[in-house]
Amino acid sequence: MSDVTIGILGLVAVLLLFLTGIELGFAMALVGVVGFAFIRSTPAALNLLAKDVFDVFSSYGFTVIPLFVLMGQIAFNAGIAKRLYDAAYRFVGHIPGGLAMATVVGATVFKAICGSSPATAATFASVAVPEMDRYNYDRKLSTGIVATVGTLGILIPPSVTLIVFGIITEQSIGKLFLAGILPGLIAAFFFLVIIFGWCRMDPRLGPPGERSTWRQRAAAVPEVAWIVGIFLLVIGGLMKGFFTPTEAGSVGSFAVLLYAVSRRDMGLRGFLKSVTESLRTACMVLILIAGSTILGHFLAVTRIPMHAADWIVTLPFHPNVIMVLIGFIYLLGGSFIDDLAFMVLATPIFYPVIVKLGYDPIWFGMIIAITVMIGVVIPPVAINVFVVKAITKAPFGVIYSGVLPFLLSLLVCAVLLFAFPQIALFLPSAFMR
Amino acid sequence: MGGFAKAVKDLSRFTNLLAGISLSFIMFLTVLDVILRQFRKPIVGTYELVGFAGAVVIGFAVPLTSWDRAQIYVDFFLEKLPKAWRNFMHLLTRGLSIALFGALGWNLIRIAMDYQRTGEVSATLQLPFYPVAYALGVVCFLQCLVLACHVYDILGGKYE
Repeated sequence: MSDVTIGILGLVAVLLLFLTGIELGFAMALVGVVGFAFIRSTPAALNLLAKDVFDVFSSYGFTVIPLFVLMGQIAFNAGIAKRLYDAAYRFVGHIPGGLAMATVVGATVFKAICGSSPATAATFASVAVPEMDRYNYDRKLSTGIVATVGTLGILIPPSVTLIVFGIITEQSIGKLFLAGILPGLIAAFFFLVIIFGWCRMDPRLGPPGERSTWRQRAAAVPEVAWIVGIFLLVIGGLMKGFFTPTEAGSVGSFAVLLYAVSRRDMGLRGFLKSVTESLRTACMVLILIAGSTILGHFLAVTRIPMHAADWIVTLPFHPNVIMVLIGFIYLLGGSFIDDLAFMVLATPIFYPVIVKLGYDPIWFGMIIAITVMIGVVIPPVAINVFVVKAITKAPFGVIYSGVLPFLLSLLVCAVLLFAFPQIALFLPSAFMR
Repeated sequence: MGGFAKAVKDLSRFTNLLAGISLSFIMFLTVLDVILRQFRKPIVGTYELVGFAGAVVIGFAVPLTSWDRAQIYVDFFLEKLPKAWRNFMHLLTRGLSIALFGALGWNLIRIAMDYQRTGEVSATLQLPFYPVAYALGVVCFLQCLVLACHVYDILGGKYE
């Protein structure tokens, strides 16, 4: 049996193991070890297992993940999202669909310090949906927008998805963060346009709220200014090479903690809760990365990524068609497994293809990110929809019908990003040569 | 088994506490280093300390994360199976995971012994690698105990 055949069988085994309900990171590690033992030797495979896990866990570079997750968790537990939502409400709450728009604006600013998509969906499902219920918003709009708005965090830095992509492909996390800003803002703008248009067509969907005075609006500005300030400190420091990504995560976490403590929004109990929840998420992500590293070493000895790259570039299709197919594979895989897990599994295989086709790796990261955004709200594994359902108790049918228009806007956003890579590449090329 | 399971859970909570202390330590150490760098007095060896503490953060959080079944897994296929088949799948996956972490723990201890014998240390602070490797190895065995508790729950019909 050739090494390539063993590699393909290994990939099939990973996918079959996924269906047994085993933890995805464990499955990748198991197949990686067994496959490596089959090709090389059992002692070499066991040594690889221990060495890879030790290297991943003790790597300075990987500590960026728990730190940025901690930053988001502190912001989440300090109730900063509620303040941002209230601030946004002051400005747009009085127009039709205004509370849904306030959700988009509040979540976009919140995403600047919290990289978790389900955490944002959970926060705004708790904060914004009851408020929209009070003003008789249609549940289709209120639950649809909170489920979708969480996806913005996958593009807007500090995104955990982009950090993991950067680590797997050895791309600059600073560049990826910068590249995500414009597409993220465009997606947020599309959400606002859809809410506006949808409520114009059917005013019963989002009746206007109370108009705030300019004094109330002025009082809300500092809430947003602090968060934007922390975001600029973190991203600016990374961009200028003043911080490593790990330092940026530490400084960001510390700044959000200081802000929360100074506002008396967080005490020791809240901090401990944030740390505990961060450990859980970080452990989940790093076990995936450790498993993928072991599997990656097995695939490297089978030379599958190189063979796949050589084979795919000779296909009689335009490179753009191949890119669309790759995006579709990510979407399909992510819909059935878990988007982040599938990205960790598939990127080492497809990344050499992208490089060989001559595409920009940073742009590819953005395409993958927007694919993941779509993946977290489409069935069967639609984590954000599950979170919103659990909190609001709305039927799946209602949430999905509300998600649909926003999903279409994400597709338009993906097409725009595909047709005009400059949308993603402009900021990194302007600020990080 | 109740007392054993409680002891395993308490141990997992304890290692998770150590992981939390390490994460807080990384945050405060790095911020302090960034500040002191402005005064041209950086903390020597921060890079190495963060790497070592990072191993504790992730490695020591694994048992409690597994105890709570918070790792990512796919359940939509399992949900369609009858209970007996689901239990069989759970036993199979717990068994495979125990084998994985048993092998991982044993080999981490082995490389820790190698590090200790060869005296391998970090470049700046000359910190030995072996204590971290030993600690991760021991945590892998704790993870095996967590998975064994899962097996007990499956057999007792209390897993799902």
